[in-house]
Amino acid sequence: MKLDTDQKLPAALLAVQARPLTNTEGVHVTDCYISDLLSDVLARAKPGMLWVTVQIHRNVISVAATNDIAAVLFTCGRQPDASVIAEAETEGIVLLTTPLTTYEAAGKLWQAGIHD
Amino acid sequence: MNTAPLSESMANAGDARKITIAQVLVYELRVRDAMSRPPITALPSDSLRTIQQLMKQHKISGVPIQLGTKLLGIISIEDIITALDQGHINNTAQQCMAHTVITIRDHFSLVRAVAEFERYGFGRFPVLDSADRLVGVLTRGDITNCLMHQLEKRAEEAITYEAAALAARAGDDQAQRVVIRAPVRTGDYDSAGKISQRLRQVLRERAIDPDVRRRAAIVAYEAETNIIIHTLGGEIAVAIDPDKVVIDATDTGPGIEDIDQAMQEGWSTAGRLPRELGFGAGMGLPNMKRCSDVFEIKSGTGGQTHVHSEVFLRKVAVKL
Repeated sequence: MKLDTDQKLPAALLAVQARPLTNTEGVHVTDCYISDLLSDVLARAKPGMLWVTVQIHRNVISVAATNDIAAVLFTCGRQPDASVIAEAETEGIVLLTTPLTTYEAAGKLWQAGIHD
Repeated sequence: MNTAPLSESMANAGDARKITIAQVLVYELRVRDAMSRPPITALPSDSLRTIQQLMKQHKISGVPIQLGTKLLGIISIEDIITALDQGHINNTAQQCMAHTVITIRDHFSLVRAVAEFERYGFGRFPVLDSADRLVGVLTRGDITNCLMHQLEKRAEEAITYEAAALAARAGDDQAQRVVIRAPVRTGDYDSAGKISQRLRQVLRERAIDPDVRRRAAIVAYEAETNIIIHTLGGEIAVAIDPDKVVIDATDTGPGIEDIDQAMQEGWSTAGRLPRELGFGAGMGLPNMKRCSDVFEIKSGTGGQTHVHSEVFLRKVAVKL
C-alpha cells in the first residue's frame, strides 16, 4: 500500500476514517499488528507494519522506531501530545487517528486487504 | 540543569551530525532540563515590596504566587514597576496578581517552549509537572543557557572524537569502538529509549544489517525500561565494536527473587502505572534473551542485578 504524495489516503485508511497526524508521504504498509503491550509489539510486529493501538505516550514512538514500524494508527479517537507527534516526525514514523474502536478498525483494515 | 547525561566516550561525529546538532538539541531537550528549580515563590498575602526584594535577591523577573501546592497567579517585574509608579507597592500579591496564569509542562520539548514564548510574548512561564505541581520557572535565558551548556558538552565529545580518530589513523582498529554510557532513573518513562535511539543511529551509520540492528536496539530498549519500571535506578553501558554490541545493564536493587520465573513470558511484577502505559507484558527479559547472541543475568535479593547481552554484528549483504 503506497500513500500518494499529495497525502490522499489509500482506500484501507479511508475505510477506517483515518486522519493523518504527521506527514504521510511515501509510506508503505504491508501488514498490520494490534497490541497495547509494548514488549509484545517488539516481539511480534514486523518491520514495515501498521501498528494499531490505544497507547498514545512517547514510548510508542520509541518502540515503533526500534522495530522499524512504518505507521501507527490510534483508535477510539485518541491523539498524542504535540511533542510525541514532533518526535514521530523526527523518526520518520507516520501517525494516524481513527474514531473507530480497535475491533472495528481491525475488521475494516482486513476487509480492505491489509493482511498477508 | 538536571539532564541525564548521555555520555559517549567516542562519538561518531560525522558530517550529518554536525549540521543537525542544534536542531536535534531543541527537540531532544525538555523543559525540565532547562528550567530553574526549585521555583522561588511567594504567598498571596506577601506584599509587592517583599516580592520586589525577593526578585532583587535572586535576580529574577517573575515570582509565582502559591498557596500549598496550588499555583494561584504570578507577579512580574512589570507589575512591580506599575505598583511603584502608582504608589501601591505595599499592596498584597493577592490584590495585584494576574489570576489566569499561562503555564507550560515540564515534559514539553524546548522547541515547543520557544513556540509558546513567541505565541504569548511572556518573559517567563511557571512549569507544572503531570500532577499539576509547580516544579520550576522557565525563561528564554534558561533555554539559551541550557543549549549553550549542551553544545559545549557535544563540542568536548567532538574533540575527544577527533583525538581518537587521529589514533585510529595510526592503524588501530580498537578506535572504532563507541561506548554509550548513561544513568537510568526509576519511573522516568519519558526518557526511555534514548540509549537505544543512539545505538540505532550508530548501527545505521555503519550499515549494519537491519535485522541485527533491530535486535540490538530491542535489547537496549528493554534493558532501559526494565530499570525504569522495576528497580531503584541504575546504569546502562553499550559498547559498539566493529563485530559486536555489548550491552550491560546494572541496577542498585531490589534484585530478582526468582530468575527462572522472571524469564517466563507473561510473568510480571510491574505496578499499575507502567501496566496502564503498556509496559509489564512480562516479555522484557524473554525479548532480550531472544534477541541476544550471548545473554546472562545475575541477581541476588536485596542486591543489584546485572544483565549482560551481546549481539554479533554483520553488515548489509551487498547485492552485485
